[in-house]
Amino acid sequence: MTEKEEIMDRERFVELLDAFGADFRRWPAETRAPAAAYVAANGEAATLIADARQLDLVLDTARVGAEPSPALATRILAQAPRSNRPAFDRRAVLALAACAVLGVVLGYGGGLLAPMPAEDDAYFATAFEAPFTFEDEG
Amino acid sequence: MIDPDVELVRSAGAGDQRAAEALVRRHLPRMVGVARRMLNDSVEAEDVAQEVFLRVWREAPRWKPGQAKFETWMHRVALNLCYDRLRRRREKTDPDAGLAVADSRPLASEEWLARQRAAKVHAALAQLPERQRAAIGLVHFDEMSNIAAAEILEISVEALESLLSRGRRALKAALADVAQDLLGGAEGAS
Repeated sequence: MTEKEEIMDRERFVELLDAFGADFRRWPAETRAPAAAYVAANGEAATLIADARQLDLVLDTARVGAEPSPALATRILAQAPRSNRPAFDRRAVLALAACAVLGVVLGYGGGLLAPMPAEDDAYFATAFEAPFTFEDEG
Repeated sequence: MIDPDVELVRSAGAGDQRAAEALVRRHLPRMVGVARRMLNDSVEAEDVAQEVFLRVWREAPRWKPGQAKFETWMHRVALNLCYDRLRRRREKTDPDAGLAVADSRPLASEEWLARQRAAKVHAALAQLPERQRAAIGLVHFDEMSNIAAAEILEISVEALESLLSRGRRALKAALADVAQDLLGGAEGAS
């Protein structure tokens, strides 16, 4: 987008400083190049800019502590629209839960039905034959 | 006109939580900032920001890109909510609100000084007429172009420039002591 450039004289330069401050990035796009040319050609411009910058710096001090609280973002997001797919998601969760329960039941039941090997009996028999006591030591 | 929010708004309206999060991340600090500068009250500012997003969520499913960018619309909503609250306050705002920092504090830390200065700037902003305050907020703090700010305020760019000039002139007078403190601090400290 091309914009018509302004004619920059002292009066207009001061008007723009008064309105937009010392940072040319805040100035209307079509005024920036003429303003830069004016600064290059006029030594006094630097003093005018320095004067306007004082208020910019003072205003910038108001940025302290301006961050929103994280709790606010959480509250706002809790109110955001939800997808129309929760019913599908709930079914999927229920199906997964049912599979898990079935798996546990089958696994436990299968274990009960399976006969214990004979060597295990011998192992338990010897394991509990002579119980460990502190008195036996030393 | 390219609106960077259109896709996010559409997705958030369809229930996409990531899109909603992205919108909050992108716009919440600005909405709180706008409201805080207008109301000079952090708690009220958060209430306004929440109300803005409630309206965003309500509008998002049927949002159609039109003449205004989504961000412009959000700013207008925020400012209108602030104007409503200011109207309701009926000039009961205490200009020194936020300045009552305990004097008993023995040594002023840098952070304390910074907060003190910020409070003074907010108090001075609160003394400006609402439109001047809004104009300075949009151009100085939100770094919006003159065209975007004028669009939000629904005024011409010439009228915006006039609001800014008058507002800054008043602030310069009201904040002379802060400027002295901030910029002449080195001389004063020695």
